[in-house]
Amino acid sequence: MLIMRHELLLIAITVILLLIEIFLPHDKKHKIILPAILLMALVTAAGFIPGPTGVLFGGMYGTSALILLMKNILNIGVLIVFIQSVSWLKLDDQKEKISEFFILLLSTLIGMDYMISSGDFLMFYLGLELATIPIATLAAFERYKEKSAEAGVKLIFMSALSSGILLYGLSMIYGTTGTVYFPEVAATFQSTPLQILAFIFFFAGMAFKISLVPFHLWAADVYEGAPINVTSYLSVISKGAAVFIFTIILYTVFAKIALMWRDVIYVIAILTMTMGNLFAMRQRNIKRFLAFSSIAQAGFILLGIIGQSQLGMTTVIYFVLIYIFSNLGAFGVATIISNKTGKESIDDYDGFYRTNPMLSLTMMLALFSLAGIPPIAGFFGKFFLFAAAAKQGLYILVLIAVLNTIVSLYYYLLIIKAMFLNRSDQPIGYFKSDGYTRLGLAICIAGILIIGFASPVYEFILKLSYGIY
Amino acid sequence: MSAESLILFFIVGAFLVGIALLFSSYIPPTSTNPQKAETYECGIPTEGLSWLQFNVGYYLFAIIFLVFDVETVFIFPWAKVMKEAGMRGFVEIVIFFFILGIGLLYAWKKGALKWE
Repeated sequence: MLIMRHELLLIAITVILLLIEIFLPHDKKHKIILPAILLMALVTAAGFIPGPTGVLFGGMYGTSALILLMKNILNIGVLIVFIQSVSWLKLDDQKEKISEFFILLLSTLIGMDYMISSGDFLMFYLGLELATIPIATLAAFERYKEKSAEAGVKLIFMSALSSGILLYGLSMIYGTTGTVYFPEVAATFQSTPLQILAFIFFFAGMAFKISLVPFHLWAADVYEGAPINVTSYLSVISKGAAVFIFTIILYTVFAKIALMWRDVIYVIAILTMTMGNLFAMRQRNIKRFLAFSSIAQAGFILLGIIGQSQLGMTTVIYFVLIYIFSNLGAFGVATIISNKTGKESIDDYDGFYRTNPMLSLTMMLALFSLAGIPPIAGFFGKFFLFAAAAKQGLYILVLIAVLNTIVSLYYYLLIIKAMFLNRSDQPIGYFKSDGYTRLGLAICIAGILIIGFASPVYEFILKLSYGIY
Repeated sequence: MSAESLILFFIVGAFLVGIALLFSSYIPPTSTNPQKAETYECGIPTEGLSWLQFNVGYYLFAIIFLVFDVETVFIFPWAKVMKEAGMRGFVEIVIFFFILGIGLLYAWKKGALKWE
């Protein structure tokens, strides 16, 4: 029981929220917001209480201190998404389905938790599907908006396709090794052509989920069409969870063909970083812009995965942790602007600093962190990723990554320039953000600042990562 | 084992599909009549196009049916080993019922059982 506590707690609060939803009168649905956030905060806090680790169901499910940390990171991210989405949920269009937003989001989180701590490919696949299908519903949440419906349909088609490819790869793995359990597959994996083909299918399926180039084509349309809070969830939490399990499987199951997947990741990392950056540069819609920026960030994460050691694991987790705070910070500001004024174009941000200085400063901090400017957390995250790749002797890859960072600096600074320097005849007027938004942004700022300056966080993850590889 | 076996795998795969198609088109007896081309082969001439809008109510019922379907799938194996599973199994099935019941209650409350 205690080994599976993260999932069980989440299931429990999902059921509680569903019960509250059933018995809430029709016109008082907004009353669920506070209990939902409080319960999620409780679960997040409870996740940090140390408890037993081990395997269940004959190896189908397993946790370690590292996996618990990953789940805690995801919990924090979801809590921030909950808090940030309040201003959107209170709009008239959503007031009928507030509780469904929380319940669906929690079900995807349960799926991700099971996916991360899976010990065989069946459990992994089940978790993956549970994490994907509710997101398609969430993407189509504003169902009377054409773009939102389109995003939902695109997401469900693309994830069906990628799941099909992934399953084909898994069936080949099962066919050639005769087992689906990670340790046994790892022991019997031989790198015969069929197994390498299986690995490529698996890789392609996962690349869809993490939206790596050339499997990224769905990302921009879905991110633009989906409601902005769902976009932030999609680009941060769902991507983070996929990266975690991808890294774990590469390091444990496919350890024997590490030399091969290193080459694959080498190429894909360069492609992803460069394409993401080049496309991000010419976006005018803030959601599309953040979508491409998150594709580029996924390319940087691959640099940590290629580090392929205790260091690689640590840097990936550390970067995802920082990425959650910085990207959610940027999305938080974009959310409140979109909800208050309906403006989502970067051109509308001209002169934003004059009217809303605090929000502009928050956005600046988040973007600086995403770009990786020295005193802020994002710099350390990227620096450690590069260090992990450099330790493997991949200096050319690191050089390309550094060049890409400079390119990315250009477009992140474009927004900051728009907010601070550009003059506009009709800037976005002054508005007062509500308490929930402020709380969400405050958590993000605190995360960006504290993790950047506190080396114990990194040391802690490094200690836990010992032995995963 | 080398890359040749992989190429062989694809060739044999394509070949097998071709063979299957070939066999299915030559072996069975064929009869052609205008009724065979109809959407529903029930003898009655179909009217109108099949690109119709149909009541979304059917789809809701199908989803609620799924609740009971899943229930049967899980309760049958449990009923088979009820004695061996004992009290623990009973408690687990009650929790399962509880969660399914909430799902049904939710659908009920949202008016999915009402025919409009």
